[in-house]
Amino acid sequence: MTGTMTRPTVSPFLEPGLHTKPRSLAILQLSRDNLLPIYLQEASGEHDGYAEGAVVNTRYGSFPHSTMLNVPWGSQIRASKVDTGSRGRKRKRGPKDEASRDDAEENQPETTDNNTNATEATGVKQAVADDSGFIHVLPPTPELWTQSLPHRTQVVYTPDYSYILHRIRARPGSTIIEAGAGSGSFTHASVRAVYNGYPSSAEDRKGKVFSFEYHEERYHKMKKELTDHNLDGLVHLTHRDVYNGGFLIDGKSPEADAIFLDLPKPWEALPHLSRRKPQTEAKEGEEWTSPLNPKRAVHICTFSPCIEQVTRTVSAMRRLGWVDIDMVEIANRKLHTIRDRVGLHYQTDRGVNVSPHDVEEALERLTEIEERVREQAARPRGGEDGAEDADTAMKNGDDAAKKDGDKTSTAEQPPYQTPWVDGRLITKGEPEIKTHTSYLVFAVLPREWTEEDEAAAFAKYPCGKEKAVVGSIDKQTRKKERREQLQKIGDRKARRKERAEKIAEAVE
Amino acid sequence: MHHSVIKPNSWVALKLPSGVTRVIQVTPNTSISLGKYGTFPANLILERPYYLTFEVQDKLPEDSFSRLRVVPPSELYADVFAEEDAECANPAAGPGSNNDAVIATAAGEEFSLVDAESGNVIARSTQEVIDENARQKLTQAEIEELKRDGTNAGKDVIAKLLLSHAALDQKTSFSLSKYKLLKTKKYIRRFQVLPIDVPTFSNWQLEERDASKILDIRAEMMGLVGCWGNVHYGGEDVFLEDPKATTEQGEEALAPLQEDLLAGRWLVVDDTGGLLVAAMAERMGVLYKEDDDETEEAAEEEDEETTEKADEETEQKLESETTSQKDTEMADEPTSETTTLARHPKRPRDNKPRDSDFAVPFSQTNTITVLHGASQPNLSFLNYWNFDVTAPQHPPHPLLNHLLTLSWLQLLKPELDTSYSTPPLTADPETLSTWKPSRRGNFHRKRRRYARVRHMVDSTRAGNFSGLVCASTMDPISILKHALPLLAGGAPVAIYSPSLEPLAILADCFSVARRTAWNSGHVAEIQGKTAEELEKWEGSEQFPLNPTLLLGTSIQTSRARRWQVLPGRTHPLMTERGGADGFIFTGWRAKPAEGKIAAKGKFKRRKVEETVSTPASA
Ligand SMILES: C[S@@+](CC[C@H](N)C(=O)[O-])C[C@H]1O[C@@H](n2cnc3c(N)ncnc32)[C@H](O)[C@@H]1O
Repeated sequence: MTGTMTRPTVSPFLEPGLHTKPRSLAILQLSRDNLLPIYLQEASGEHDGYAEGAVVNTRYGSFPHSTMLNVPWGSQIRASKVDTGSRGRKRKRGPKDEASRDDAEENQPETTDNNTNATEATGVKQAVADDSGFIHVLPPTPELWTQSLPHRTQVVYTPDYSYILHRIRARPGSTIIEAGAGSGSFTHASVRAVYNGYPSSAEDRKGKVFSFEYHEERYHKMKKELTDHNLDGLVHLTHRDVYNGGFLIDGKSPEADAIFLDLPKPWEALPHLSRRKPQTEAKEGEEWTSPLNPKRAVHICTFSPCIEQVTRTVSAMRRLGWVDIDMVEIANRKLHTIRDRVGLHYQTDRGVNVSPHDVEEALERLTEIEERVREQAARPRGGEDGAEDADTAMKNGDDAAKKDGDKTSTAEQPPYQTPWVDGRLITKGEPEIKTHTSYLVFAVLPREWTEEDEAAAFAKYPCGKEKAVVGSIDKQTRKKERREQLQKIGDRKARRKERAEKIAEAVE
Repeated sequence: MHHSVIKPNSWVALKLPSGVTRVIQVTPNTSISLGKYGTFPANLILERPYYLTFEVQDKLPEDSFSRLRVVPPSELYADVFAEEDAECANPAAGPGSNNDAVIATAAGEEFSLVDAESGNVIARSTQEVIDENARQKLTQAEIEELKRDGTNAGKDVIAKLLLSHAALDQKTSFSLSKYKLLKTKKYIRRFQVLPIDVPTFSNWQLEERDASKILDIRAEMMGLVGCWGNVHYGGEDVFLEDPKATTEQGEEALAPLQEDLLAGRWLVVDDTGGLLVAAMAERMGVLYKEDDDETEEAAEEEDEETTEKADEETEQKLESETTSQKDTEMADEPTSETTTLARHPKRPRDNKPRDSDFAVPFSQTNTITVLHGASQPNLSFLNYWNFDVTAPQHPPHPLLNHLLTLSWLQLLKPELDTSYSTPPLTADPETLSTWKPSRRGNFHRKRRRYARVRHMVDSTRAGNFSGLVCASTMDPISILKHALPLLAGGAPVAIYSPSLEPLAILADCFSVARRTAWNSGHVAEIQGKTAEELEKWEGSEQFPLNPTLLLGTSIQTSRARRWQVLPGRTHPLMTERGGADGFIFTGWRAKPAEGKIAAKGKFKRRKVEETVSTPASA
């Protein structure tokens, strides 16, 4: 293919382009871990009382959509002084209202409703930049979506899904079965993994996710989300109880290459995921279709929080012929870097520890204190108990030294401060860590291999004419061979052969 | 593409019962030796499915080779099933208990010994212990002999060994299961064939080869890097039109760069010998050839013929190698293997009219651009996927059109790079026709190479990459300094490092304090600089990188903890691979607003902001 092809329907998750686009999903990064998904609207006149059209209100300022549209992804957006117009009166709510994230989320449906009649563009007020406040606008990715999606269930997070998709060999062109869809976190990650273009027709087989969800409301919400994200041709969502209903689509096999089960009872779904009719199922003689790709080994992962679920799942897998069963748990840690500032020369500040930063500094300080104590003790004074006196003196000395120290540090204060290079760079974990998400059970179901298949393969590749041995020869022979090889650096042919052997050896 | 069956000449991993993996190329009409586990013809696994478990059979009297038997899962799990059944039949006894009678009837002959007279189980594999004494009861010779005589692939040896252990049944279930495993590993002639894909290959490198060659990158980290780098299929191929340059035309006839066509491109710095590139190629759908299933039949027809043809080509190629050394000069990794490629069965028939020398072979989308520090990239591990980056003439491979490589010199100072800056040779057709074929070949090759280099360098310098992924031994700060400006806004950055420290220093470059100061308008050294200059910020002591070019920076690590799941004996493994943990740094490329900018409220109280300035010397 030559030249460009504009396909406005490509999901912003897959091909976001360079700029933000109207009616397309964008993720606003309000602060470090505060993400807000939003569909950007073209301003078409006053909206909800704002003269600038739709506005996102956050505690970081107000952001008219118009300031975020058709800008490069990743742009830092300044807050605007919005004209509340009628809104101020109607709602009694200023633009500088501390809108929490929830508020902003609440705003979302309203703003989305707007602009169905984008054609009747009336005079829209140009936004005026505020003097402080900003956010960034990011293209949607499964990682950002996972952090910002509306939670309807527990979701699978990046540390788990990244590992799962790698291990179940989800690749461009793969077909994946997923149940249940839940909040769609895994769905978004898996559709990115299998994406290799949109199917051009019903027969065109491209990478696809077949997702199942039996909870009606979740099903409908998810369905809408998929449409909003332009993922309709890539994810096929079915409203079904898979324990009873299995995984066929209109009686036909989705021919899955990989499976992910995030369900309470994977073992009840597993019999449906066989190559042949399992004993537990259906009446005699009834036609049975496997939902698996008959030509390939199928990889599966089940995701269960409890060990009892794992035991039952693994037991069921063994009986159903799954091999390479492997159970793991993923522990993920996030680390923050900070500048650890310790020293007497610091002023008391957040994150600063005003105590000696090394023995020398401590020594210096202690010496000072002792000097003061001696000075004080030397002063004549009417007293009864000498020991007690020394104690008080010590205390006073300490206080004085401290005061003095403060003074010195103020005096020695450089004309500028550079807290970003001060102190020692250290890393620290998060205040709270996730210690358990779920157990991941992996397994493989090889493709079926019948006597006939074997006979055909044997006929095609008959045996008995083996010319050479590949693989492990014992160590002695190998060493000897190598020595000989190294010696015969001669004509080109020999050189070629040697290289061939070298690689064979290197890889065995 | 998805490894349906084992194809001739493909690289595969043989998983042996000992847990050892052997990686070999399955060449038709050769024998595959598993050492003491036996030898069998490679043809017996060709066109057979992956992941099946085979057992090497004893030679039949009428055969000259050992046949294979597919071991059914019921047999693989016989001992577990027996235990489960025992547990069902007698739940009170519990899983670890000595429930002999039940086992005797349920277990396969493989793992238990039954006293012929009493019908009691006198030993079963789960009850055994490692005992030097007992082990010595069987001599190596005895084992060999038993192996030869036995018709049951080593099982008799186990039986005899079990017998010698009969008295020792009082160990804990942990050591029992361990011992059983040992035994299974040692004497059963079973193996499994796995396709060489990125997960299998990396595991093998990590566990059994030289982990340092792939910077100790574990599957967890590979998964994270791929996801946080948002590496995925980057759109349908788009090719530039052939400029149809005549041999008399030079530079002016190059296909002009069309920046708006560039999309779905990832930038990568790979010091894992090409494994990272392979992982990205796998995620982008350009590591494996088009679905083998469909093209297979046609390809095989040509097999014989093409192999010969390819051989000839290799000969020619070697010829040209000597004449133009630079083309094939290798970096430090010598595993490049042209003969491997020569065996490649497929070679397209050239139906299309020949491309002109200046035709750009690369797609404008869905590409990987490798930046390398040596004069040639070290991507030798790609040989396992039958791709040789050093081969000047290469059989078809999706990476050919989707992998661009350039050195840091070519990126940053292309004018100093000879292959970029030397104008292409030109010649009029008459002169050309008087040349010897080899000289003519050389002429065309050099011109093609020139067009390729120019496109790689110019398109890379055009920037707007969809993401940056690194696993490098180089300082990440220096990489970002030059790579950040090349990223599109919002593009993710994912940098892997086996150790935490380089990433911590990197993350510190983007600390809140640095960003705040930078934005405050009080940093002297950036005063008066344009947005473009700040984007290409060359770094200072105080600000090694422009701290506003990345947002959401974060460091993380993941670790998979592996469990054993057995009836009544489920627990995490006792030991796992240690060494480097591996960390990744992530963030997104930001397009900072121009001019001074402050966050709302939050940092007002910091006095520093008002007083920030840096010494002129910085
Ligand atoms: C934990 S959630 C899945 C979360 C999802 N993996 C994600 O990342 O967002 C489990 C979902 O499975 C659904 N579910 C449970 N049993 C089911 C069944 N038998 N058939 C279909 N869906 C089922 C539930 O309704 C729930 O939404």
